[in-house]
Amino acid sequence: MGTATLDGKAIALDDAYRHAAKILNAAAFPLIAGLGADIAGARAAILLAERLKGAFDHLASREMLADLDVKRSFGMFTTTANEARIRSDCVVLIGPGLTQAWPGMLERLALDRTPCRGAQAEQPRKVIWVGPEGEEARAVPGAKIIPASAHELCGVLAAWRARLGGRPVAFDAEKVSRIDGFVETLRSARFGVFVWSASTLDPLAIEMMQGLVIDLNATTRFTGVHIGARSGASGVTQAAGWMTGFPPRTGFGRGYPEHDPWRFEASRLVDSGEADAALWISAFDGEKPSWSRADIPLVTLAPAQAAPSRGLFIEVGQPGVTHDAVLMSQETGGMTLRKASAPTDAPSVAQAIDSIMAEVSEGAWR
Amino acid sequence: MKPFTFTLRQEPPQRVDLSALAPDRLAGKSVAQIEEIEIGVTRVSTKVGDLFKISAGDLKSVRYEGGSSRFDLLGAKLLPGFEIHVEGDVGAQCGRLAKGGKITVAGSAGPHAAAGNLGADIEIKGDAGDFLAGPLAGELAGMAGGRIIVRGKAGARAGDRLRRGIIVIEGDAAEDLGARVIAGTIFCLGESKGRVGYLNKRGSIVLARGGCFGSTYVDCGAHQLTFARLLARSLKDHSAPAAALLSRKLRRYGGDTAVYGKGEILTPD
Repeated sequence: MGTATLDGKAIALDDAYRHAAKILNAAAFPLIAGLGADIAGARAAILLAERLKGAFDHLASREMLADLDVKRSFGMFTTTANEARIRSDCVVLIGPGLTQAWPGMLERLALDRTPCRGAQAEQPRKVIWVGPEGEEARAVPGAKIIPASAHELCGVLAAWRARLGGRPVAFDAEKVSRIDGFVETLRSARFGVFVWSASTLDPLAIEMMQGLVIDLNATTRFTGVHIGARSGASGVTQAAGWMTGFPPRTGFGRGYPEHDPWRFEASRLVDSGEADAALWISAFDGEKPSWSRADIPLVTLAPAQAAPSRGLFIEVGQPGVTHDAVLMSQETGGMTLRKASAPTDAPSVAQAIDSIMAEVSEGAWR
Repeated sequence: MKPFTFTLRQEPPQRVDLSALAPDRLAGKSVAQIEEIEIGVTRVSTKVGDLFKISAGDLKSVRYEGGSSRFDLLGAKLLPGFEIHVEGDVGAQCGRLAKGGKITVAGSAGPHAAAGNLGADIEIKGDAGDFLAGPLAGELAGMAGGRIIVRGKAGARAGDRLRRGIIVIEGDAAEDLGARVIAGTIFCLGESKGRVGYLNKRGSIVLARGGCFGSTYVDCGAHQLTFARLLARSLKDHSAPAAALLSRKLRRYGGDTAVYGKGEILTPD
């Protein structure tokens, strides 16, 4: 069985669930934040938010929404990593820290091998890395490196797009011809792929890059592989989408879901005092909340080593480690079942929330 | 006739949605009926009467004595011929989808002021939050008509996806001014931080103090533009410094060439 503490002192699990329900039920506008959970945990958390007429947000919403904002207001070409591995003859990696955002990236994309499908099969694969961090590009032998700091990336993409369309840029002739050389590499690809992570690319740069993809698709085939945000953000977003029609940063205050990335941002809700109790879920690694107020009544669901000294803490297991979990897989771009690698009897997020929900009856508030 | 006045009794205990108080929707309602309108957005009820003391008057001119950064959607869907004055701050989405009329805010505005504005004349005497006149999440275009004048500073991404209309920022603008502009005109009379006019399709951005707009804006020379003088004359009564800026000789940078290259950034030569 898992453990529970109240301000650092151990309490019985049943009392903890009852106390959590009491805290959340007493609030005028409770917040379910963090949401670092598997699909079952996300489903339970969003159902709880709906019953409490509260709001929910994910701890990596900023990164997740950067990609989603481009997708929903502009459009986005994406493919799976597997498709990129077997077909791409030109891979452009954009930005620093991609191998940190997705440690299995190089193994899955197998950039040192040739593509094996399409007319480009067995042709050498061209790899370009724009703005890698330190020595990380060394892991890709033969990659062409274009040095650029994180804030220069948007300018590099803009210049490429301008030259692809044959429009002028304010550089000297030598630099223009160098850019034209890269653009020719993109144009002559049979199946090109951009790889990026929204942790280092802002929404405007992502929109520029996707615009470049659209322009390139007039004459060849180009697409993208985006690296999803941490703590199960992609899967939680899918679950929120099919349950409410919206991604995280959605509230049920008026009884129906309303989505507003500004209004329902967890840190703002807490720091402004609009949310008056919070349930923080971070089952993968016990990441701490980013808000600065310490006086909000807080219930934390996290692994044992992340127990906070303040507020109510209920231990939960780690998805895919201590219990089987369905997660969005970066490798396949779909939902997969991760079998527990080191099973324990700690409750899952879904089990913990279901126990809390059992103490919250609908419409019982005031 | 005296204006229809809402006098704030206390700081709102939660964010309030004031879209239900559009003047045309109040016509024919008694004060008692208006006081019963629900404006809260959580499971706690907040009614108009809990927050405001109402003194009935001419609905063509509505006055808020006291404002709050929690006043969302003030002046939403305002119709031509109506006027709203707020003696204080407003929250998010002030003037949202307003078709016409005039909104004056004596204090500062939250994010997304003038989002989707179609024809209203909006003046913010203090500062404006992020996404001034920008689209809401998932929307394809921002402000599509009318005018917004900010006497103070504007937050990040001001004028995002502007479709039509005029934005004047008399103070400084934070990051990414005029990004993704489709068309329309933006003035910044103070400093502009970071990228300006990224992904600008065919909008005009006038900067009093220059700014950073990268390699995809191309110098097109300094000009005395006839159209600028006409625009200056029409702006004179609303923002004298913007009109003065337009009357000067302006250097034109064409861009963003990454998209169409039909937009421009104008700065004094």
